[in-house]
Amino acid sequence: MNVRLTPLALSVVTVGAWGLVLGVLSGRAALVVSVLPLLLGLLRIGRTGASHAWSLSRSLSAPRVFEGERVTVTVAVSADEPVALLELFEPLPPTLRLVSGHNRGLFTLRPGRSVEWRYEVECVRRGRVSLGTVHARLWDRAGLEAAETTVRVPGHLRVYPRPLPLRRLPGPRRMQAFVGNYVAPSLGEGLEPGDIRAYVPGDRVRHVNWRASLRFRQLFVTQYHQERNADVVLMLDTLTEAGAAPSTTLDASIRAAAALVTGYLARKDRVGLIEYCGPFRWVRPSAGRAQHERLFEALLRADVMFSYVTQDVALVPPRVLPPQALVIAISPLIDPRFEKALVDLAARGFDLVVLSPSPIPLVRRAMRPSARADVACRLWALERRARADALQRLGITVVDWDPAEPLEAVLGGLSPSRRRGVAR
Amino acid sequence: MRRLAAVLSVVLVGYPLLIVPSTAVLALGAAAMVLCVLGILVATPVLVGGMVLALGEYTLALWLAGGPPRLAGAVLLGVVLVLLLETADFGRRAHRATIGPGLLVAQVRSWAVFAALTGTGALAASAGASVAGAAVRLPWAPAVAAAGVAVTLVAVALALAAHRLPPPD
Repeated sequence: MNVRLTPLALSVVTVGAWGLVLGVLSGRAALVVSVLPLLLGLLRIGRTGASHAWSLSRSLSAPRVFEGERVTVTVAVSADEPVALLELFEPLPPTLRLVSGHNRGLFTLRPGRSVEWRYEVECVRRGRVSLGTVHARLWDRAGLEAAETTVRVPGHLRVYPRPLPLRRLPGPRRMQAFVGNYVAPSLGEGLEPGDIRAYVPGDRVRHVNWRASLRFRQLFVTQYHQERNADVVLMLDTLTEAGAAPSTTLDASIRAAAALVTGYLARKDRVGLIEYCGPFRWVRPSAGRAQHERLFEALLRADVMFSYVTQDVALVPPRVLPPQALVIAISPLIDPRFEKALVDLAARGFDLVVLSPSPIPLVRRAMRPSARADVACRLWALERRARADALQRLGITVVDWDPAEPLEAVLGGLSPSRRRGVAR
Repeated sequence: MRRLAAVLSVVLVGYPLLIVPSTAVLALGAAAMVLCVLGILVATPVLVGGMVLALGEYTLALWLAGGPPRLAGAVLLGVVLVLLLETADFGRRAHRATIGPGLLVAQVRSWAVFAALTGTGALAASAGASVAGAAVRLPWAPAVAAAGVAVTLVAVALALAAHRLPPPD
């Protein structure tokens, strides 16, 4: 830690020298006397050494939060020796926004005592945030000299995507073998009454339909529909994004994915995730709270990664993309490689829904309004419509979504039977 | 802290007007005041410009007033010069920063002690110089004074050069 003179010392010298020059030129002793305190003040330089006997610790009110939540950062400073003036500055990453307090502090420290410094930040965008380095500057009391250093105080914060409110989810066409919340066409154990048939030995007495039995003078039993779960695979397009952070198409896609993950896992479905960024990255379908954690961790690190690689959907193993799964692809439909993957999936017979967060309103919000931008956006909208039409002709359901609107409004009416008829 | 610096700049600019309340001194004082206030709010170099003007105002007031030197007033002005620079600089550093407990009290105490010690030292030095000046009549006194100033400035420059110079602000 090197001690340096500050610009204030040069200012003192400048004013002092000017006073002396004026004194000599005017022949007034009072001027020379008036600069004496300035020159005497310079004698303080070099009297204070830079103390190393202080330490920092940081604590966060919550290590894991959702987007939009606030975190209180508490920095404790303690010293073994007296420290005249310690200035601390903690630069904030762009994903955090200062809400209250300051991320810079000035302290005087007494031996054996600690000082706490708090400020509150709002987590603007998902991601792993590292609050690592604190810049420290030790001043003397006069401010004539200072020593600078940086202190590594590791502090990690995980900001998870905020799930959008979503009560109704697109229903799957095909069910799986495990118990869930969907009424399956097949008959078996369940709660939803299905068919009535004649009693055969071995049927349970509680299934006897007494009303039908009395009418026909013969025992009948009620059969029930099985309640099954489904496999849902979310396919996230991270090939490209449009718009300005924290409102890019990828941000909207990830928030939608978080909502879908939360919704389907709450229905006991098995949910998986495939991130298509040229090569594939995936999380195998599974159910439960642990899977929720796994998927949110995957969404946390999902980001646009430029790549020339284009992998074929056939490379994804069946245990990651089960043949009976409902595939919900979330893509702004900007990169043709993702469209090709969608066509490939549809050709393989997957139950496929494309949720397309529209980049046009996001880009318009980031641009200055102009007539030229209006025309460009209208042309872009036409091009998007043409692409969506081309996909729909291949039997793929495409749902266009303005991220400013509720996700519920576009996904709510998407039942399996109505899917074919949905257009944009 | 910026308010304290503003009060000190008023004292700095107002003292020459107490010596000679003339239009020329008032005009220079007004210009110095504007620069000082701007300097307190914006940056130290602007404040230095204001202080340079204030010293010019003081020189003009002394030149217009004539008469014997007012050493106590000069020492007071010098202490105000130092405190104005330091308080304005501290105010700039403390702006938009969390101030720890006891910091302001400790800082004000430090400035008070410094002002008392420096004021006393400067008064003693000027009194000693007056006595010596009355006892010993040097030939070519202006030249000796100029040489003394030059030696002082060179000594200060050498002393500061021994430390590392600050990076550009």
